[in-house]
Amino acid sequence: MKQEISALMDGELFEDEAESLLDRIKRDSATHKDWEIYHLIGDVLRQPEHIHCDLSAKVRERMQDEPTVLAPRGHAVKQKMRTFALSAAASLSAVGVVAWMSLQISPEVAPQMATQQAALRPVSAQIQPKSNDYLMAHQEFSPSTDMNGGASYIRTVSYSPDEK
Amino acid sequence: MRMCIAFFGLLLAAANACAGERQVSLDWLKTVAFAAHQTDYSGVFVYQYGNHVETSRITHVVETDSEYEKLESLDGPKREIIRHHGQVWCYINHKMVQADSQRGRSRFPSLLPEQLSAVSGNYQVKEAGLERIAGYNTQVILFQPKDNLRYTHKIWAHTDSGLLLKAAVLGDKNKVIEQYAFTQLQIGGNIDRSWVGAKDSAGRGAGLPVSSPETARGGAAINSGWVADALPAGFKKTMEIQRPMRGKHAPVTQIVYSDGLSAISIFIEPDDGDEDDVSGLSSRGAVNLHHKVVDKHLITVVGEVPPRTVMQALDSVRYNGK
Repeated sequence: MKQEISALMDGELFEDEAESLLDRIKRDSATHKDWEIYHLIGDVLRQPEHIHCDLSAKVRERMQDEPTVLAPRGHAVKQKMRTFALSAAASLSAVGVVAWMSLQISPEVAPQMATQQAALRPVSAQIQPKSNDYLMAHQEFSPSTDMNGGASYIRTVSYSPDEK
Repeated sequence: MRMCIAFFGLLLAAANACAGERQVSLDWLKTVAFAAHQTDYSGVFVYQYGNHVETSRITHVVETDSEYEKLESLDGPKREIIRHHGQVWCYINHKMVQADSQRGRSRFPSLLPEQLSAVSGNYQVKEAGLERIAGYNTQVILFQPKDNLRYTHKIWAHTDSGLLLKAAVLGDKNKVIEQYAFTQLQIGGNIDRSWVGAKDSAGRGAGLPVSSPETARGGAAINSGWVADALPAGFKKTMEIQRPMRGKHAPVTQIVYSDGLSAISIFIEPDDGDEDDVSGLSSRGAVNLHHKVVDKHLITVVGEVPPRTVMQALDSVRYNGK
């Protein structure tokens, strides 16, 4: 078994053999201990001044002491979301700027937009009776008076039941 | 060669026929304008726009000095408009609310030649068959605009007298914006003139009030320095006056533009800060009205043209200095 572990560390096992051994190391704590000791031996041989005993256990302990350890990650995700939202907003506003620029470039577009808005506006906006004076002043000089005679003056005094 | 001549001959004939038809239609227009002022008539007509319908009676008589015309509402509160000798009186429930003076409109005006050429320049005029209206035979004439900045006008003219018996204003997809049509009409004959009454010393009908000099005073021609650049092609300035207006302290400048069939009036007055005035776009039948404050002046554009044209005109109004 120890030879097998050594062979695994040296990269001398076939893939299927290595997999089954790694499986065993994960499940069997004794084998896992051997695996850790072999690594420690290797580390000591290569870097004698830094010797870490049971580093992974210490790390595990520290992690258990810090239950909030997941919180920063969640924060990071949120931040990522925010970044995404901001970049989306930026690209949208870029589209807006382009649209606005195209409006500025073509003077024809703006009146047309206004036209569409006017067309969409409900016809409920009736001329108020207080504006009748304008209508009468206009009617005097309208060619429709020439053609229709006084009948076109009906516009200037037309009565709507919902007007009070 | 012979083919060629024949072809050109055909072309010429077609062009002549076309021009001839337009001329006939324009002649109708002259007849209509003449008849509107020269005929005695009395009748009831219906005026309709949107889901609004109202009935009125109109009486028009020609006396030796001038025309007298009375328009009475038959629905709703009693409203009456009397026109005579270039003056207009408006009564609501027997109370005179307004008197106005029409400059230069006192005697049988008819369409001016330039007005006719404006009509044929801005509209395609064609005869559109014969129809019967209020028991009379009429010629239908269609005025189709050459752009979408004005309405289509359709008129039904009495084939004998030329009197307009029906008129419709059509918008996009030939939707009726407004129309009026006689339902009963008497042309000539014995028409009630009692309301015209005897003349007083000033030559006015005794039944008609003498309007105060202030209200009766017409506007004076001026050059205000205000201009509107974005009017549809073919709208020519026909009038620029400074006039008193009811309820206004200062005289109001009125500039009128016309394309021969429709008109756009631009009113300019000092802004009195009345927020009710600035209510944006509103309409009544074919007439659209739009307010806006520019440089401390209240600008009002009124015209029997589509909303987009009124808005476009209003947005282009600016002071250009004297």
